[in-house]
Amino acid sequence: MRLTKSGLNTAAYVVFIALILLAPLVFDAFWLNRLSKYLVFGMLGVAIALSWGYAGILNLGQGLFFGLGAYGIAMSLKLASTTSLAQGSDTPIPDFMLWNAQPGAATDLCCITPGSFLWIPFQSVWFGIAAGIVLPVLVAFALGMIMFRKRISGVFISIITLSVVLLMRLLLVQAQPLTNGFNGLTDLGYLTVLGVEFDPYMPQTYYLIAISLALVLLGTRLLVETRSGLILQAIRDDDRRARFLGFDVPRYQAFFFCVSAAISGYAGILYVMASEFASPTFMDLSFSITMVVWAAVGGRNSILGACIGAILINMIEATVSETPALMEAWRVVIGLAFVLAVLFLPRGLAGVATGLRDWIVARRGGAAASLAEPAEKRS
Amino acid sequence: MVDTIFIGLSLASVLLLVALGLAITYGAMGVINMAHGEMVMIGAYTAVMASLYLGLGLIAAMPIAFLVTAAIGLAIERLVVRRLYGRLLDTLLATWGVAILIQQAVRLSFGFAFLGITIAGLGPGLQNVSLPPWLGGVFSVAGTEISVYRSFIILVSVLLAALTWFLMYRTSIGMQLRAIMRNPQMAAACGIDTRRINALAFAYGSGLAGVAGVLMAGFKTVFPDMGTPMVVDGFLVVVMGGVGSLMGSILSAAILGQINGLAAAVSNDIIARAVIFAVVIAVIIWKPKGLFSYRGR
Repeated sequence: MRLTKSGLNTAAYVVFIALILLAPLVFDAFWLNRLSKYLVFGMLGVAIALSWGYAGILNLGQGLFFGLGAYGIAMSLKLASTTSLAQGSDTPIPDFMLWNAQPGAATDLCCITPGSFLWIPFQSVWFGIAAGIVLPVLVAFALGMIMFRKRISGVFISIITLSVVLLMRLLLVQAQPLTNGFNGLTDLGYLTVLGVEFDPYMPQTYYLIAISLALVLLGTRLLVETRSGLILQAIRDDDRRARFLGFDVPRYQAFFFCVSAAISGYAGILYVMASEFASPTFMDLSFSITMVVWAAVGGRNSILGACIGAILINMIEATVSETPALMEAWRVVIGLAFVLAVLFLPRGLAGVATGLRDWIVARRGGAAASLAEPAEKRS
Repeated sequence: MVDTIFIGLSLASVLLLVALGLAITYGAMGVINMAHGEMVMIGAYTAVMASLYLGLGLIAAMPIAFLVTAAIGLAIERLVVRRLYGRLLDTLLATWGVAILIQQAVRLSFGFAFLGITIAGLGPGLQNVSLPPWLGGVFSVAGTEISVYRSFIILVSVLLAALTWFLMYRTSIGMQLRAIMRNPQMAAACGIDTRRINALAFAYGSGLAGVAGVLMAGFKTVFPDMGTPMVVDGFLVVVMGGVGSLMGSILSAAILGQINGLAAAVSNDIIARAVIFAVVIAVIIWKPKGLFSYRGR
């Protein structure tokens, strides 16, 4: 078989997806649970690569969408936990609401704390899942329509998204009777849908996450190959030219911004299933920037690269974090790796892989094969 | 009422201290220096170290902090930022990495922690600086008690703003810097050594952050992560004021300080901070170039 660039790209996806699906053969339950969290972070890498690499939107508030998704499902799972069911009322009540209850308030979701009625629909798990995806998309749509219609670009988008996520975090912490403030939502029940119970340490949870990641990867990859995806890249390279060609630039930008938000929201849902908590730290500035770090090291222009970057960095971090001294040293390495990656490897590890791929194709595939493919494809 | 206005003024002066340096580095070069907050942190640690090892007070620590942070700023410009001119968003990411490195350097006592050596005054813990007695008390104006140290901060920030204004508008270097702000290529074509001026401006901006850090050390706990929220505040001020406008930064610091003070008086500090974010988001959406920007497309 003759080696081609797109053939090797496809091979990379196939190998990666095969690896994550076969991982349960190697890892024990404890590591599988850890790995499933890192796959979720890989999904965040995909979301970042889509908005940053393909749309040119450096969103420093990706944690907002992740956090909204996480809280959406966590509220449902909180109501499904055994402690919420055992508060001496007909309907489940989160334990922290009793601690924050108004004096004399009825022990019911309708009125135990101000605003607690917002929790009522979350008794249905499907509502929590839907909220975890719809809410991020709605926020992204509103934000995107405002920003892109006003032709706000570059660093101003970063400042706005950063401010929005910090604003949301403050409100979340402030609304203590509704969200348990700084402590976040812990002691969650397991998600049970269609008769399957998703215990975070059981293989079914891992498979759900791994298959989700594979689908998100492939879906995103196909999406950027569509006509809209190509127009999006044209907008990234020169938005004025795209505008003069008659494209409705804000609509394309807003659409992909929403897709990125939906992926992040879904990642938030899966993360809660694997880690059994939701916390305001998801909306910390440092977490949102850390996601960008993963994508930058893995390769901002590469969907698979950003995904692998996120997974690799977190796996290494988990291995070294066993000893506290190494953990501190690891942060030095991360800082240094980030500076060096930005300075010397602006295309990240994926850039290295692309260079290697082109070298192999040139050696093995012959010059004719590379001439037949004039357009350089992104891996 | 007087005390609310005074608190607002004092919050504004702290914002201005952090934002002044950013107004120069971001305004002049478009470099988004995420390590700016770490410069404030280093300034604060300089105050801690100066009192610990040299027995110096806050006032004497200010010039030292200026020199230390200016030197570090110069090094960052030479090693990292200089290679990234023209890749603005990348400066944000690279300096974030630098910020992590600086935080770890302090937390690990420059790496000596690995050898089991800890340097007093550094490390992951909290540090404090005591105020000299003459800065500690309160005085009363029109029946309102006003903190001497808060007034001192307002005074220093006004002086530094005046000094920065003088440097930018009344010296040759300042004129060259303003030329670069307007149009870097044209400035270079006119014979301005843009590299030298950029490096000087970066060092000066970092130095200002160092002085801000010393003043912060007087009323805040000093710890390795203290810089991160400050760089956010600083950017909010600069972006709202308008990139490249010194007056804009000063006015927007004043506005945000007063809003913060008022909102905190009516509700609480968290709500006040949320209000600040909301105001800045609204302003950027309404006027993406900032309230007082003169720079056209």
